[in-house]
Amino acid sequence: MWAKSQPAALGDFEQLVLLGVLRLGGDAYGAAIRQEIHARSGRDISINAVYTTLERLETKGLLRSWVGEPTAQRGGRRRKFYALRPAGETALRQAYRAFTAMAGGFEARLEVK
Amino acid sequence: MSPPRVAVWLLTCRLPAEWREFVVGDLEEEFHARAAVSPSAARRWFWHQTIRCLARTPPRTELRPTPGDPLVQTFLSDLRYSVRTLLRAPSFALAVIAVLALGIGANAAIFSIVNAVLLRPLPFDEPDRLVRIFHVPPQSTFPGITRFSVSPANFYDWQRAAQSFDSMVLFRGRQFALTGSGNAERVVAGAVGAEFFHVAHAQPALGRVFLPEEDSPGRGQVAVLSDKFWRSHFGAATDVVGRTLMLDGQAFSIIGVMPARFSAKAWAVTDRDIWVPLAYTDERRAVRDNHNDAVAARLKPGVSLAQAQAEMDAISQRLEREYPQANTGWGATVVPLQELIVGDIRTTLVMLLAAVALVLLIACANVGNLLFARGLGRRKELAIRSALGAGRGRVFQQLLTEALVLATAGGAAGLLLARASLTASATLLADQVPRAEEISIDGRVLLFVAGASIVAAILAGALPALRAGRTGLNDALKEGGRSEGAVGIRTRRLLIVCEVALSVVLLMAAGVMLRSLSALRNVDAGFDPHNVLTLQVQLPMRYRTAALSTAFFDNALTRIRALPGVEAAAAIDSLPVQGGGSVQPIVHEGQPELLPRDQPTVAVRKITPGYLKTMRVQLLRGRDVADSDTEVMLVSRGAAKLLWGDADPIGRRVTLPLQSKTVLKRVIGIVGDVKQDDLSEPPMATVYEYTHERDWRGLAIAVRTSVPPSSIAQAATAALHAIDPEQPVQNVMAMDDVLDQTLTSQRFSAVVLGLFATLALTLASVGIYSVLSYIVRGRSREIGIRTALGARTGDVLRMVIAEGMTPTLIGIAGGAVAALASARLLEKLVFGVSAADPLTLVAVAGTLAFVALVASVVPAYRAARVDPLNALRDE
Repeated sequence: MWAKSQPAALGDFEQLVLLGVLRLGGDAYGAAIRQEIHARSGRDISINAVYTTLERLETKGLLRSWVGEPTAQRGGRRRKFYALRPAGETALRQAYRAFTAMAGGFEARLEVK
Repeated sequence: MSPPRVAVWLLTCRLPAEWREFVVGDLEEEFHARAAVSPSAARRWFWHQTIRCLARTPPRTELRPTPGDPLVQTFLSDLRYSVRTLLRAPSFALAVIAVLALGIGANAAIFSIVNAVLLRPLPFDEPDRLVRIFHVPPQSTFPGITRFSVSPANFYDWQRAAQSFDSMVLFRGRQFALTGSGNAERVVAGAVGAEFFHVAHAQPALGRVFLPEEDSPGRGQVAVLSDKFWRSHFGAATDVVGRTLMLDGQAFSIIGVMPARFSAKAWAVTDRDIWVPLAYTDERRAVRDNHNDAVAARLKPGVSLAQAQAEMDAISQRLEREYPQANTGWGATVVPLQELIVGDIRTTLVMLLAAVALVLLIACANVGNLLFARGLGRRKELAIRSALGAGRGRVFQQLLTEALVLATAGGAAGLLLARASLTASATLLADQVPRAEEISIDGRVLLFVAGASIVAAILAGALPALRAGRTGLNDALKEGGRSEGAVGIRTRRLLIVCEVALSVVLLMAAGVMLRSLSALRNVDAGFDPHNVLTLQVQLPMRYRTAALSTAFFDNALTRIRALPGVEAAAAIDSLPVQGGGSVQPIVHEGQPELLPRDQPTVAVRKITPGYLKTMRVQLLRGRDVADSDTEVMLVSRGAAKLLWGDADPIGRRVTLPLQSKTVLKRVIGIVGDVKQDDLSEPPMATVYEYTHERDWRGLAIAVRTSVPPSSIAQAATAALHAIDPEQPVQNVMAMDDVLDQTLTSQRFSAVVLGLFATLALTLASVGIYSVLSYIVRGRSREIGIRTALGARTGDVLRMVIAEGMTPTLIGIAGGAVAALASARLLEKLVFGVSAADPLTLVAVAGTLAFVALVASVVPAYRAARVDPLNALRDE
């Protein structure tokens, strides 16, 4: 029982996707998240990997999703939007805290030159 | 601008349903954004994304079995395991694959031939409606002959009356001398009625085909070219229609070109350089009692062969009543074209297919042996597997999967082998097999190979797998995997028995075919074919008169006789053993001509003086024909007996009413019987007629030489061209080769069967050797003890050889029974020897016993040299 109250630590890739959703606000869907990650981190991820991760995060209860209207730009297909649930925000916060705590005092050394 | 459709389709197929819409939508959206900058880069990007998606996509649930599907899971894991273990034993795997490749490859090659020749329909439109119609001659005068050429008058009556056919056509072969560009050249033509292309359902590639009115004298100077002739003589010029061909000195205008696919080699009348109208005169159309033409027809849709035959029977009976003098006893038979083309070779091919199946069985027995040995070597591994809970079924399945992997590899290698051997023997096959040019490896052959591989896997793998599954856990572990022990000897002996028995059947078939071939080669044809050169000359129309053609041939023979190395030369209208040639009724002087049914018929040959001497045909009584003779005749011994019984024929006179009802020919000599048609048939009653001046059209010149005949071929041809440079000379070949040509199908069967039998013998001896080596290794301890107790080398040798020879002898006995039982299949194919020939059987049994003995000697010697100390130290 006690194990469930502690959410499992996020993987590196999961963090990227969650941060992407966070950054995009209410406009987070697959392609936008992919482009955001590519633009900011330089990692070119396949759309497939994005969706695999989104689905996993949704199953974990960190994300919620809804489906938009079909558009001509997408050949009449719909978008699937994602947003953080409170648990998702908590998980991100924990990850950020762990990262900054561990990196504390080494900012100068870890800073990209 | 839309994303690559194939990529979208691939994504749609492969992506999980719950994402599909969003992923494809996302990609398309981004694609449009990128396409605004650079469409081609956008497309590249889209493909790149698609491939990345597909590569990492989990399988779609509805297409693939769920990971939990136990049967497929086990199979896949067995498959992986098999490949891994086989890769670790490459020499074993290679040996098995090689043996299977030989077996399956031979099967694939023969099946490819069967497929092209027997199974695939003829390359015509609705080929099953194409038939040939023949006369059935009166059996009293033409015993055994069931298909006879057709006379024009009867054909036109058939054509008018018969309702079963869409169309019907009369045709014949014709040869022309083509002139106008350098040397004269022979052109092989089909002289056909105007309905010919309609019967064949064929459209010209260029121009048109014959009009009905062009099938008449005076209008028939038109020609349709084959694709081959059009390319070779006109360089495929598209404006060829309207040009002229000079054939036999007459101008034929070209009206059309047939497409390449029309020139099917298998049917003589489509395998022609050109086609011209038959263009018979009314007089020629009215000939009823001279049967020289061929008939083809197309059945109406829905009309069965039996219905057509019934109708032709009724029409023939009516014609018999209306024209009793010409038609009594003459019926008609409707034969499917396919049957006509491939009917003769069907028995041979079925026999070869059966033989090659035996080769595969032997290969399977051999592979079974190898798998068996390997299964025993792996007993410990298998025992551990069963200790860990693998049931017998599970072990069986795994070993069978291994066999399947091997058989699949063997099948693939066999397919390559089959393709290579078919390519290598393409020219050989072209002479032996109708439709040879259609032989290829198609879907049906692939399916056959797949089936053969699976059957081979089951046959070779099942027994060893069953046997391995039965291994007792305790025994296997007790031996500690150190010594193999001689287990399963009984099973392996059984495999030897099978291999030997199958080899006996194959060797027997090959032996009988070889004996038949040699019997045919040594048959007394009634003449001496060695050192004889033959060449054929067909005079064109410009030798209009008897005087002109007589002068040509007299001159030709004189010039050839003068050549160095020539002993004699003469001419005949139709060479012996080639078939064809004229068969005519013959009437005694002063007697009325009987109905065709009752009138005796004989083969009629026209010869020039010196023919007997050139061919060394025996003159039994009387004298040879001489230059000065007119209307004289030599009769064969058979003809003398047929026509005059025991009375003396010399001095008697006869008429040949088909030529003339009034000209009497005088018999001046009796000569030996000569095989006119076929070496395997008894000689026909034959008369040889001669008169000094006559209208010779086509003659074969025979030249008896004192040097190898081929060495004067050039000089003889040149001698003819010195008389008339425009005269084509054909088929210049030694009489020995002419004889040889008639034996092609027998030689084909003998060669292929011999090949298979050799393969079988090799496989069987390898099998015996490997089993014996295995047994000797397993029993080395026992042999060591025996030696220690005083057994001599001879005793050990005898023991091991007996071990090998017992199953061999049982196999020989079983094989002999099987060979005798299957002799019926071969009986139709052999000549001068029984398919159950005891002498051949004894020779085959002896050969196999000898080979088995040789295969046993090496392991036996190895056993005899077992050092008792070494053998026992293993304890």
